[in-house]
Amino acid sequence: MKAFLVHLGYDFRTGFRDKSKLLMYYLFPGVFFLIVGGLMSSINPGFKDLLVPAMTLFAFMSSTLMTIPSQLVAAREAGVFRSFRINGVPSASVLAIPTVSTAAHMAVAAAAICAVGVLAYGAKAPAESALFAVTALLSYAAYAGIGVLIGAAAASGTVAILAGQLVFIPSIILGGLMIPASALPPALARLSLLLPASHCMRALEWACAPGSIPLPWVSIGTLAACAAICFGLAAFVFQWDARSSSPSRRAWTAFLGIVPFALAALAGA
Amino acid sequence: MNEVMVEARNLRKSYGSTQAVRDISFEARRGEVFALLGPNGSGKTSTLECLEGIRQPDSGRLSIAGLDPARHARALRAVVGVQLQSSSLPASMTVEEAMRFFCAYHGRSPRFDLVERLGLGEKRRSQFGTLSVGQQRRLALVLAVTHEPEVVFLDEPTAGLDVQSRAELHALIGELRAGGATVVLATHDMAEAEKLADRAAILLRGRVAAEGSPRQLTASGNRRTKISVSTEQGLLLAHAPDFPGASPQGPSEDYSIFISEDPGRSVASILAWIDGAGDRLVDLRVERPSLEERFLEIAGTPTEGGRA
Repeated sequence: MKAFLVHLGYDFRTGFRDKSKLLMYYLFPGVFFLIVGGLMSSINPGFKDLLVPAMTLFAFMSSTLMTIPSQLVAAREAGVFRSFRINGVPSASVLAIPTVSTAAHMAVAAAAICAVGVLAYGAKAPAESALFAVTALLSYAAYAGIGVLIGAAAASGTVAILAGQLVFIPSIILGGLMIPASALPPALARLSLLLPASHCMRALEWACAPGSIPLPWVSIGTLAACAAICFGLAAFVFQWDARSSSPSRRAWTAFLGIVPFALAALAGA
Repeated sequence: MNEVMVEARNLRKSYGSTQAVRDISFEARRGEVFALLGPNGSGKTSTLECLEGIRQPDSGRLSIAGLDPARHARALRAVVGVQLQSSSLPASMTVEEAMRFFCAYHGRSPRFDLVERLGLGEKRRSQFGTLSVGQQRRLALVLAVTHEPEVVFLDEPTAGLDVQSRAELHALIGELRAGGATVVLATHDMAEAEKLADRAAILLRGRVAAEGSPRQLTASGNRRTKISVSTEQGLLLAHAPDFPGASPQGPSEDYSIFISEDPGRSVASILAWIDGAGDRLVDLRVERPSLEERFLEIAGTPTEGGRA
């Protein structure tokens, strides 16, 4: 347990020390929040209801999809994992610690988004803070699972960045962060169910106003299944060494992470 | 001290169609420094990585302090210290953080005395990415031995080290051996192996070509001793006669060079000749074949394996 805490403490500190992490954890989502918050709130006052959940989710995606995968691949390619392995660092720690330390940074980022959003832009604050925190945690877990899975399965840093963007960019456009899902054409609305962001936004919007929207239990179940499947698959395909064989088999196995979203899209929920 | 701590029997390891290790067997005992010598691609690193438990051998039996590296990976970490040929740490991790980090996983207190000793004391707060290659290698060495393992695997440990660090490392290896640790060392540096190793195996094309103590290895070679003689008047250079058992090799600067298979008799004859010719001896050097020469002799001839 002491080793886990020492490792976690080190990894958390690197969130401030490492410029690329600092950028993707705080600066990029922060600047995006300030611009979108100011712009969208003045153009569309209804966006104030979405501002806190949407920008919180944006920070989650920025940290998990754009940081964790490349961080894991870079460490594997540089031989850092080999050093970890020969010194008894378990593979579970290699995958769990970036997830937990990034979650701690995201708690700070989410609190800042909530406070600034409400105070500066008149955004709607979550009615039930505890409920919002739980659904935010579930949303984070789903995206962190995807990020860790990409990092464990990607054969190179380039593949990791591309795979992260493949989820990140459609999530921004179709995931309900900028345009409400109800405003999408039916075909695109169905397609958007393949994206974790759609389910996250449903869950977060419900947590902001639990009385006014029915419980999106399918989305909550989909996110929980996504987190469980992705972390399980990541542990299964994880390799200590960049020279290990069968990168394509690992990549194909990783595609199983899409199963919960495919089922949700088929069900149309 | 005769307890076998590292044992490899009929080890084989391939990567695709490339057979890196074809059939390697050796053992190292407690308190022994065992060197694996060989050119690039001879199978040293693959052998070490199988022993360290970071590669799965295709076949063969491995035992480290009674543990099977493939089956007892977790227990192995407590008894084994490893310095890999190529590895790294997170670029932003400081030397002090690295010590605390890995010692926490080993359940030990950090030994900062080793950090000081290997010349990294002033770098405790420096990040790994800012260290020179030599400093990074020294830190890897410290991390390999900081938990006082029973078996230490060092892969090219002095590559990139300066003379002072190399001397410190040699002293450290001597202390580990004196403390009862077994050190398995893979190196290109024959002089280093000759100085440090109790026994060595020369690997060629994935097989053990020769094995024994450095003295046994060199003695099993061509047994030719080099005799270099320099005199005041240089008479030996001008009029070198035939000495018993010695064949002249031509001059080298001020020295007359002879190769002898019976150096005692040859040296006595040479000294008697110099005295008789009225010249005076300035320098006399008698050099038995080095491990490097023996290695080059073995590496230069096709071999199917053997013991010295």
